[in-house]
This record gives sequence, C-alpha cells and structure tokens, in this order.
Amino acid sequence: MTSTTRRVENGQPGTGPAGHDHPLSRSARMNEWIDGHARQLFIMPAVIMILIFSIFPLVASLIIAFSRIRLKAGGYQVRFVGFQNFSKQIFGSEQFHFLGTFTTLSILGWVVGLAASGSIAWWMYRYVRQQFSIVGFIGRLITAFVGLALAWMFAATFFSGNQFGTLGVTLFYVFVGCGLQFLIGLGLAFLCSQPIRGRNAFRVMFFIPMMITPIGVGYIFRMLADTTKGPFAPVWQWVGLGDFTWATDPWAARIFIIVGDSWQWIPFIFIILLAAFENIPRDYVEAGEVDGASNWQIFKEISWPQVMPVAVTVMLIRVIEGFKIVDLPNIMTSGGPGIATESMSLHSLFAWRSLDLGQSAAIAYLLLFVTVVICVSFFNLVVVNRMRQS
Amino acid sequence: MSTEVKNAPALDAKRLVIRKMNKHYGTFHAVKDLDIEVEPGEFLVLLGPSGCGKSTALRMIAGLEEITSGEVIMGDRDVTHILPKYRDIAMVFQSYALYPHKTVAENIGFPLKVAGIPPEQREKSVHDAAAQVQMETLLERYPRELSGGQRQRVALARAIIRRPSAFLMDEPLSNLDAKLRGFMRAELKHMQHELGVTTIYVTHDQIEAMTLAHRVAIMRDGVLQQLGTPAEVYTNPANLFVAGFMGSPPMNFVEGGVNNDVLTFGDNKINLSAAPEGENVTLGFRPEDATVVKAGEGRFDAKVYTAEMTGDLTLVTMRLGKSMMTVKMPKDFMVDFDELVGIEFPSDLAYLFTTKDGARLSATVA
Amino acid sequence: MTDIPKHYQPTFFQRLFEPPTIGKMAVGTKVVVYTLLLIWSAFVLFPIYWLFITSFKTAADVNGGPYYLPFIDFMPSLHAWHELFIIDYEDTLRAYFNSIVISLAATGLAVLIGSMAAYALARVKYQPNLVTILLFILTMIGVLVAIGSYGVDWWLVTAVAVAVFFFLMKAISSRYQILLHNGDILFWMISQRILAPIVVVVPIYMMFQSVRLLDTHIAIILTYTVVNLPIVIWLMYDFFSSIPKDLEESAQLDGATMIMTFREVVLPLSRAGLAATTLLVMILCWNEYLLALFLSTAKAQTMPILVAAMNAGERGILWWSMSVVIIVMIIPVVFLAMVLQRYISKGVLLGAVKG
Repeated sequence: MTSTTRRVENGQPGTGPAGHDHPLSRSARMNEWIDGHARQLFIMPAVIMILIFSIFPLVASLIIAFSRIRLKAGGYQVRFVGFQNFSKQIFGSEQFHFLGTFTTLSILGWVVGLAASGSIAWWMYRYVRQQFSIVGFIGRLITAFVGLALAWMFAATFFSGNQFGTLGVTLFYVFVGCGLQFLIGLGLAFLCSQPIRGRNAFRVMFFIPMMITPIGVGYIFRMLADTTKGPFAPVWQWVGLGDFTWATDPWAARIFIIVGDSWQWIPFIFIILLAAFENIPRDYVEAGEVDGASNWQIFKEISWPQVMPVAVTVMLIRVIEGFKIVDLPNIMTSGGPGIATESMSLHSLFAWRSLDLGQSAAIAYLLLFVTVVICVSFFNLVVVNRMRQS
Repeated sequence: MSTEVKNAPALDAKRLVIRKMNKHYGTFHAVKDLDIEVEPGEFLVLLGPSGCGKSTALRMIAGLEEITSGEVIMGDRDVTHILPKYRDIAMVFQSYALYPHKTVAENIGFPLKVAGIPPEQREKSVHDAAAQVQMETLLERYPRELSGGQRQRVALARAIIRRPSAFLMDEPLSNLDAKLRGFMRAELKHMQHELGVTTIYVTHDQIEAMTLAHRVAIMRDGVLQQLGTPAEVYTNPANLFVAGFMGSPPMNFVEGGVNNDVLTFGDNKINLSAAPEGENVTLGFRPEDATVVKAGEGRFDAKVYTAEMTGDLTLVTMRLGKSMMTVKMPKDFMVDFDELVGIEFPSDLAYLFTTKDGARLSATVA
Repeated sequence: MTDIPKHYQPTFFQRLFEPPTIGKMAVGTKVVVYTLLLIWSAFVLFPIYWLFITSFKTAADVNGGPYYLPFIDFMPSLHAWHELFIIDYEDTLRAYFNSIVISLAATGLAVLIGSMAAYALARVKYQPNLVTILLFILTMIGVLVAIGSYGVDWWLVTAVAVAVFFFLMKAISSRYQILLHNGDILFWMISQRILAPIVVVVPIYMMFQSVRLLDTHIAIILTYTVVNLPIVIWLMYDFFSSIPKDLEESAQLDGATMIMTFREVVLPLSRAGLAATTLLVMILCWNEYLLALFLSTAKAQTMPILVAAMNAGERGILWWSMSVVIIVMIIPVVFLAMVLQRYISKGVLLGAVKG
C-alpha cells in the first residue's frame, strides 16, 4: 500500500454522496481531503509533537549549555560564553564534582590505565587490519576515545584511591547495577520457566515492584535501611554497627541505592526474559533431551542462544533507562555522603536548583553524550554483530 | 500374529515391547492399553486420524511424556521410568527441531557433542552421517538457508549419527510438498533398510503407512484397532473404521436393515448369506473393485454426481440417498451428470460390518 | 560413526538432581529452586509488608524502634488514613484526580498518536529530505537565539521563521536531495527515549512559562505524551508489521480509506499489543516524578509529588502518611493490570525486543 488516494472526478460513478453534477458538500470535500492526505496525517502528529517537545528543547538546551543565563526582573538575560560551562566541569573548578579528585596516579592506577589503553589500541589495530570503512572507523574512533577517557578517569580516581565524581557514579550504577539486575533477572526467569508449581503466583508477585513509583521505592528503602528504627535495626545492633549511618560510607550508600534500583527493575528484565524462555519451541528442548543433553547443556546450547537476542535488547533498554537514574539517589541519600551517590541527572538537577542553568544544561548534555556513545557503541558492536550472525 | 521382517536387522537392533501402556490427562484417556511388540529392525507405522493418541504414544516411548501405567521395554531393559537421554533412541520431530543458531554440521554433531566426544572424532562421524543423506556439501549452512527437504535430511542425519537402538519419527514428512514427500519416502525406506534399526513412525497419511511399513498399527481414540502388514489391513480390515481409513478414495459404504438375509436400503435389495437377523448392517466395497454399468444391470442404481479424470483413470462419484460412492473406471470412460447408472461389484470383495459398533461380520454377499 | 556409552548407572549426584521421569523434578533440584524462589519472594514482599504496616503506625510506633507485628508489637491506628482522607481530603483527592486525568489523557494521546505513526511507518513509504530537516533545525536555532539573546517576542520570531523556512525550503530543498527512509524516521523517533528528562526539562519549563501553561494539566499531559511516544511507536511498529497485509488489502479493495482500514481492521486486530502498550505507558505516566516536579507548583500536583511532600522538612518525614499515599497509588495500577491482563498475551513485548 503506497497510497490510498482516490481523486474525485465529476461524471464518474460512485465518486461520493453528492452525486454526479452537483459540487460536493463541504463535509464530503473535507473527507476527500483527509483521505487524500492520510499518509501525512497519520505521521504528522507524532512528528510535530516530537519536534516541539523534544527537538526544540534539545536545541534550546544546547544553546543554554553554551550560555550564561542571568535572571533579571521580568525575564532573563542570555550571554554566549562558548565552552566555558563544559570546561568548568571537565578541567575547572567543578572537576572534582563531575570527574572526581585527581592526584598522582597510584601504581594500580597506572596498571589499569595502561592495560585499558593497550586493549583499546589493540582493538582498533585489529579493526583497521581486518576491515575498514570510513564511517566504521570514525565511529570506532569516537568509541575508543570515550573508552580511553573513561578508563583513565577511573584509573586516576577509583584505582588511585580517590573519590570519583558524578560521571563515575552514574557509570557504576549503569554497569554494576544493570549487570547485577540482568544476572538475577535471568536466573529468576530461568527458574520460573521450569515446571514448578505456582508459576503464575510467582510471576505476578515478582512483577509488583515495577508498579510502585520510583520515589516511593526510594522512601521505602530509606525506611528499611534505617539502622535504628528500621526492621533490620536488631541485626545492625548485633553486628555491632548500631551507630552506623549511610551518610558516612560512600560504598555502602552506593550499594544501598543499587539494591533499591534492582528491587524496582529486576521485574522488568524478569518478565521479558521469562516470556523469551517460554517462547522457545518445545521441540528444541525435547530434541536436546532425546539426544542426551544434560540440563546445563540444554541451557547453554539451546535455551541461551535462543534467549540471547532478547537479552541483548532488554539490556540495551535497561542501560538507556539506567543512565537517567535520578529519583532513587535523590530520595534515598540526596546524593550524599558528599557527592558519593550523586548521578549525573541529579547533579544537573542540583545545578538547576541553584539557578545555574548553563551548568545544568552542560551536565545534561555531557550525560546525553556519554549515553549516546555507549548505547550506540553497544548497539553497533553487539546487536548489529549478532544480527549479522543470525 | 505372524510377522515377516524383510530386511536383516542390524546386529545391535533391539526389540521394543510396549505393554499395557496408558495415558491419562486428567479425566481424558488419551492412550488405552496399548500393546505392541516391535521386532528388531522392523519398521512399524502408527497410523490414525489426528487426536487418536498416536503422537502421545510415540512421545511416551521416547520418554517425553510420562507414562500413566504400563511399561516400555527396549531389548532387555525396562526403560519405562528413565529419562529420554538414557533410552538410547533418536527422534525426528515434525518441525525437525533443528537449532537455528547452529550450522548443519553442529546440528548433526550435537548428540555427540553432548556425549562429550572430542571435536576431532566428531568431525568424521558428522561427515559420514551427512554423506549418508547427501548433505556433505552443505555442512556450513544454517537451517534457515536450507529447503524443506534438506532440513529433513539434516534431521535424519542427526538421528542416525549415534546409531541409536531405535528411531522414533513424528510425522517427519508432513511439512514437505507432495512431490518431495514421495521422494523422501522412498529414501527414508531405503535408509531404514540399510541401517536395519528398529523404527516407529507416526503418521496420519495412510499412503505413507502402506508404502513404508513392515507392519501398520491403526489407532483410534487411543485404542489400537488393528496391527498387521499393510496388505493385511487393506484386504482384511478388522472393523469398519480400519476399512474406511485405509485406501484412497476410501471404501464405499451403504447402510441398511437385514431381513431374511436380505439387506434393504432405500428401494434396493441385496442378498446376503449368514447375516444377523433384524440388525442394521453396513456393506462396504472398494472403488477399484466395483464397476459402473448401465442402469438396472448392477446390484443397485445410483445417480451420477460428478466424474473426475485424474489422468490414469476416471473417478465416478454417485449419489444414493444421503451417501456418496466412488468407483474407479478406465480413463476413457464417459458419463453424464445426473445420469442413472448401475453399480456392480464381485461378492467376494464386499465387506460387511455391524452398523452399531463397526465389528466385521463373517457374513458374505450372496 | 561413533559409539557413545549406552548404559546408565546414576550416581548419587544424578539421583539428587536429575528428574526421575520427564516433567517431574528431582528432590535436590526442587529444594534449590523453591529455596531460591522463596528467598526472592521474601525480598520482594517484605518491603511491601513494611510499607503496609507503617501506614497503620503512629509517630510513636515508628520512632520507638522497629515493631513488626500489628496487634502484638503495636496497636494499628487509622490516624494516617483519617488525616489524608478525612481532614486533608481536598489535597489528597485533588492530587489523585490530577494523576488520574493526566495519566489517562497522556496515555490515550500517546497510544493514539504513536500507533498512528507506527502504522504509517509500517505500511506507507516515506522519503523525507535531509536537507529540509537541516534547514528546519537551523531556523530553529535562529529563533532561539533571537528570543534568548535579543529578547524579541516569541510569536513574532516564530511567524518570521516559518516564512523564512518555507522560502528556503522551496529555494534549496528541491535542488539538493538526500532522501531518508522509514527506518531512519523510526530510529529517530525511538531514539528520543535516550533523552534523560533532565536534558529537556528546563526549556520545556520555559516554553510553558511563556505561554502561561505552567501548573496546568495540559502542560504535563503534553510532556508525558511526548516522553512516551517512542515506547508506543516502537512496540506498535513491531506489532503492526507482524499483522498480515491481506486483511488490509482486502479492506482497501472493498473501498475502505486508510483511516477506515486503520480503525476497522488494524486496531481491532492489535488489541493485545494495544493493551500491553497502554499498561506500560500508564504505569510510567502514573509514577513519573521529575517532570511533574518541574511543571506543577500547586494546582496540577500529582501523586508522586504528594509522596515527596510528606517529607515535611523540619518536622521530619511523615512515614505513616507517606505509606498511605504510596499504597493508594498502587491500587489503580493493580486494578488496571488485572483488567488489561486478559488481552495481553505473553508474547507481545517479546516481539519488539527480539530485534
């Protein structure tokens, strides 16, 4: 179906309710017009909405990110400042906040940084030797550049015993958090795809956390984690951590947020992977059983390859949403202790609260940049590769 | 039950005994007291309409379905309650169940891989098995790059590679088009003959059953109706169901009451001998045994409904009351629509059954 | 061909973890599987249990240390429920009402607009010109700079910009053509989901401020609609692509227009996909916090804002009232899930994710 257009020509039978010679009534003409332009009318609302509420703000944000905005009576004043907002985050006075505290690199830092650089260089070298296309090369160059930058960032902060900034925290949430959620979600889905009793009850029960508002989840976990009045207070006392507070230990606080995030998001991964497991044709598994495969072999050789394409896409979605994390750290720890649990979204939100709109937009754009590079790299290097294979 | 297995069984071919096998799904009784002995190297076909329990029976033999009661014995081993993987069987599924993410070679080699046989040893076996089904040039392809017939061959190769004690095949040819099906049928039969492995084959297609089987087991509603060589079940059907199921076009039936050894249906009368008095009886004759003659010259008259030329012969369909009957006539036979004709058949090729339960009667047409 | 071992003596380990027959589970497997599932159930349910009992606690019960069992450890009290639904019922019900109106309207709009676009992308061939799009973006930047830096009235700039854009389009686009395809449009629309709300929320805030729509339902509804459009388009595109074309083609032969085909043939066939999409979008709208925080100040506040409002500054967090709000927020979602559940087959989400 390329076009459903039917033009009205007078004198031809069946052209419309108005008959042969009379001009068409207004409503009939209107219908004809709608019919003729249906192709455009179907897609235009979505395009216009996205242009107005997504692309326009995106461009505006870009302009804000390059400006300094000062509020004045009855409005605001915009002054173009170039890359100042960005350089402040990356090299200037906000560096500790965004990237982390840099001192001299420790030996471990050097080792990790050099190892990462080496493997990225090797990866690029292999690509250039094996196949080469301009677009692919530029894309990989960007990936490699971002990868190198992130590797040295971690080498100089985390591996050298220093605090890392909101970028590091966000990546920690995304990679450690989403990785953990994936493993648990996959495990639960596999368990629930076995012939067990009460499968539906488990399925419904495991889905509940998805229905609760993220900020509610934040408060619930804040309640639970209270070391003096929460339900686990006796446990804390018993372990001898009765006077422990989340506000003092950065790693405990980060893990605490990942636990809350996992509680909310594992259901999503679980429910889709369970459907994927149940969707594997029974014949495949039965053929494996007849051919003598053990349960582990059936999982490894038959079920997992069938589920993998779904798993990759679910992870892509989860990572995209994971980069946006803001409600949980905001509610559970307000980004504390210090900036230990502050994600980039939260960082940007805090900058907005202090009315520093330029900084806020710059951080948001940096987040967008990192998200896009990582997601596009993941998509091109993993998803597309897999599609080419199958 | 005298059975003649025509091919020499392989040395390690096993006898497969199914004893009093039952399957209940809740209140539904899917397979009832199935008793079959499959000789070593025999090709046995389980035949029946869909839903008759034949696939369930096969899956129970494979171990994919739990057996409610009864036993399955392979060789000297009771396998009723052990897992499929320890039964030493190979199964070909209707969908072939080829793993889409594995190449032809990997699919064929899978049973050996899971048995922990190192790749170098596998490679030769895979090649041999593939050669046996003429697939050795396509080993690096993926299943989606193969035609239906080629997939079928890969499934067969996967079944034969580890030389199982028995093959189980669940309608393996039903996904192929008619021409290919005939071809694969011949190949399958030849291969089974060469390998001499005990085989149970499930199908709803009676032509497949007739052509492939050493013996056919016909099932209906979970009950075994008749077990015998294809010729036996065709020429000597045990009951109305078997008679109607075997043959294409199927056997013609007329139904009437018996009075003084005379079968009456509509205005027609046929003389019988030794028929049960006062009972309703169904008379059957095969399309190829009857001839169309001039009205009044046959055993009874009927009106022509249609005539179809199939190439080698003409199928004449006539209507008598509510029932239709078909007769195979030579290809140059001409007849008009709605013409009144007579039907003649030899008395020794007519079959009589009770209408009530379909049991075969010893009575004959006089 | 290779011989493989044909006889089987189960070891102790195999006896423990291998099923006796197919369809059953070995004792060992059973123990492991159910233990894991029960542990996870406890992890899922305990926070909800704690939330539930907290809603019946008084301030003293909460602050006095952990109490676990109602009637035994502490006396359940309805004071929080009473406070929210009898004393402060106006605030509570207004937020509830706002949330319902906004979620329903935004979900309805997103599903309608999104599935129309998805259908068009699945069936009609589009070839937009990249040059036109670049022109459009350039014009947009011009507009923004004019408004931001020189303080020109936004409606004046917009009018001029539209005129300039159409002039340039006629002049340049027809001469230079870089054609895009449906796949590009689809990717563009779906990729909007990558945008974190924080990237666009400030300009959206300013936009609604300049047309005086801040703190209204319309502002939040429109924003939610756009935020969720990518999801709808993505799920429904996959669903529409999987519907055989025959039915639509036959409808067209019978003289149906594209709109009639969509309404009479395609939508009824897509009930399962629509139900799943609606549920997902509804949950996302219902629970959204950050955008609502920016776009509402008082009148248009939604339930998540009310939850946050229970963090009452110097008086500390009103855990009991907050629990009540969270609980009443869950109820409609569960109800909706139950209503829509029978339309949703488990494969619906799967198709889109298979890639």
